[in-house]
Amino acid sequence: MRILLDKFSKSFGDVRVIEDMTLEIKDGEMLALLGPSGCGKSTTLFAISGIHKVTGGRILFGDRDMTGVPSQERNVGVVFQSYALYPHMTVADNIAFPLRIRKLPEAEVKRQMEEMANLVHIEALLNRRPAELSGGQQQRVALARALVRRPNVLLLDEPLANLDAKLRLEMRSEIRRIQLETGITAILVTHDQVEAMSMCDRIAIMNAGQIIQIATPQEMYRNPRTAFVAGFLGSPPIAFIDAVANNGMLTVEDADIRLPVPPNAETPPDGTPVIVGIRPENLGRDGDAPVRGRVSFVETQGRENLYDLTLANGRVLRSIQRVSDDVSLNDEVEWRVRSDQLFLFSQNGERL
Amino acid sequence: MNASRNIAEPARAPVGAWAAPARVRLGWLNSSKGLGILLLMPALVLVVLFFLMPVVLTGVFAFTNMSTATGITGGAYQISPGALRVLTDRHGMGDLAERLGQPTYVVDDRGLAALEEMGIDPGIIAGLRRQYSGETYSSRREFERDIRNLPVRPDTRTVKRISEVFSRSLGNARFRSSTALIAAADAIDPDLTEEEKEALTATTYTGWTWTNDNFRRLATSRDTTRVFFNTLFFVAMTLTLFNVGYAMLLAITTHYIPERPAGIFRIIWFLPRISPVVIYVLLWKWLAWDTGFISAVLSNFGVRPRNWMLDTAANAWFFVILINGFVGASMGMVIFASAIKAIPESLFHAASVDGAYRWQQIRHIILPQLKWPILFVTCYQTLSLLTSIDQTLLATDGGPGGATEIWSLWVYHTALNNYAGNLQYGLGAAMALVLVVIGIVLSLIYLRLFNYNALVAKPRIEL
Ligand SMILES: Nc1ncnc2c1ncn2[C@@H]1O[C@H](COP(=O)(O)OP(=O)(O)OP(=O)(O)O)[C@@H](O)[C@H]1O
Ligand SMILES: [Mg+2]
Repeated sequence: MRILLDKFSKSFGDVRVIEDMTLEIKDGEMLALLGPSGCGKSTTLFAISGIHKVTGGRILFGDRDMTGVPSQERNVGVVFQSYALYPHMTVADNIAFPLRIRKLPEAEVKRQMEEMANLVHIEALLNRRPAELSGGQQQRVALARALVRRPNVLLLDEPLANLDAKLRLEMRSEIRRIQLETGITAILVTHDQVEAMSMCDRIAIMNAGQIIQIATPQEMYRNPRTAFVAGFLGSPPIAFIDAVANNGMLTVEDADIRLPVPPNAETPPDGTPVIVGIRPENLGRDGDAPVRGRVSFVETQGRENLYDLTLANGRVLRSIQRVSDDVSLNDEVEWRVRSDQLFLFSQNGERL
Repeated sequence: MNASRNIAEPARAPVGAWAAPARVRLGWLNSSKGLGILLLMPALVLVVLFFLMPVVLTGVFAFTNMSTATGITGGAYQISPGALRVLTDRHGMGDLAERLGQPTYVVDDRGLAALEEMGIDPGIIAGLRRQYSGETYSSRREFERDIRNLPVRPDTRTVKRISEVFSRSLGNARFRSSTALIAAADAIDPDLTEEEKEALTATTYTGWTWTNDNFRRLATSRDTTRVFFNTLFFVAMTLTLFNVGYAMLLAITTHYIPERPAGIFRIIWFLPRISPVVIYVLLWKWLAWDTGFISAVLSNFGVRPRNWMLDTAANAWFFVILINGFVGASMGMVIFASAIKAIPESLFHAASVDGAYRWQQIRHIILPQLKWPILFVTCYQTLSLLTSIDQTLLATDGGPGGATEIWSLWVYHTALNNYAGNLQYGLGAAMALVLVVIGIVLSLIYLRLFNYNALVAKPRIEL
């Protein structure tokens, strides 16, 4: 089902958390709400699920205006960050709870509950209580409980935050598999960009209660609208340096660096101060614009090495390269930038 | 340590020998065990004095027939009409009782000596000694006829005085010890059997004795059943309606209303608990008196003023349960409210999106998670209601006509305060002991329940 937030705002007392936010989630799509802590991601989910009343704007499920409908009647499935499993009920009862509340016949409840347990692979745990489950198992139960009512939309509030690295990886593909299998519209709240990029069809980047950009992960990585978006995606993150436009080139003062203006940007007028964003994978042995500096940090990541390159003016660029033995700490090196992959931003972070 | 070393210097050997054990003697203070016992001492003394002692004394008193009549120290032996009746009725020694109860006159040396003291004519004394010494009379008239027949004939007044002196009746005589009693009885009836002696000592003793009678009386008395069911009714109603039921209602409603009014509301319900009992109950009495609030209001509608609290048994119960319940509700309210507060808010959010409306949230989320607190409050309040006395004592004092007489009040009335004036300490102690035993048994059951709960909660499995 298509979900539409239409100029929705939310404030707590005097604190305006979300202002005039418009966001469309397409039918069957999985959308990531990505943003730093406190930017209003959970608030948005709570508004969609009806737990909080919105202060302004409309919320539409399909064509139906749900703004005033209580959460009990919205038929949304929510996986809370803490899972919020009912501690006094068994796994089976937890999953069956939404169905029993709807007074479905017990045989039907049982059938659907078991079907859902099979889907998330917890058939063997049905008689346990939440306290007797591992984090990942609890997570699956929460997912099953959210899905069992065949909700209009599935809302996931940082569902992987409490899991260890290995389990997180496992559950990432698991949740995506289930979402694709059920074809349900889903919103995943996260502040982990890897999670957002690997699991979702599209990403909405939020900051301070506003959607900055919505795009597919690829598109967003290749074509960030602002420096904030560019800085949010990518690991290790993009590095920014200040430069000045000069005769169709970008010069970095005190560092003897001259970079051509990338083809994706218009040439700024001479003397314009700009911010140049260089992703670590675009600084290395091959490229077209030379950059000199001192290797100030080396981190081996197995297949690749991660380097910090300190320029003459003290700014630091990051580079990721295949492992080689010819560079070591404190070496003076001359590497190259692939200038066609640079991003140019104005001083206030807007893409040029 | 250095100080003692310095002092020890001049006379090393003797002082050193003394100093070493001194250190050892104080050493126990340094061990946590020794210090612990020392610090616990005042508490231990208090526990023994004010808890253990009363319980033990109650246990001891319960097996005696102590009362105002017997006193709590020892007693004497008195052949009272009552004692003789007991001898007849309970021991079937009617003959003995009759003999002991009859006036008896024995002409013995003691009496003759007494006559000399009184300055009676020596001729009369000599005549008595010569003619009647050793004679026993069971009738005063017979004896006095014989006296008049003496050669030196005394006047009527003297005859009376003489017969008085020889009166050896045991009726109403008091003896310090059982030997004195038996000696006196032997004088009247020399061939008493051992059995008769025993029965006589037992029945004439005025002090307290050891007995199981209290429990036999409790087991057979109709009052016991009545008071037992009164107590059961009182505890069950107060507990379910107020201590748990009303407390739960308060806790849940205050959970769903905003924080500030909820706080004020809770404090209001705390007032009965923290106000002095006497004042609290007086307010209720004032409310219910025949010149009180209820009567005053209802008199406007032509209702005859009356004491609403003691008017009928039903009214009395109504007030007793209300008065006790309002005091007890606050504890459950606080415990339940904090337990509800401890339920993560996300559970309520989850229940909302799962389709549960408020009532269903209460039923499926709150109540199941309050199982423990409910059990705890039930246990705690049963015990405290069983022994609670002050509110009921001040409000109805068991009235009207014993309708609201609950066990604790019954104990108090039997042992410490009743209209008849005979305070039956022994019986009261036996009643109290029954209550103590019931309390201990219930506590053990409850402890068992709690432990059981702790056991069934399996440890969380870590991944
Ligand atoms: N009940 C509330 N009362 C007042 N302010 C609130 C309330 N709930 C949230 N806020 C504020 O709203 C803002 C957004 O909160 P929200 O929980 O949506 O953040 P979030 O993006 O989910 O962050 P996180 O990643 O840390 O979960 C925060 O600044 C927070 O302080
Ligand atoms: Mg959040």
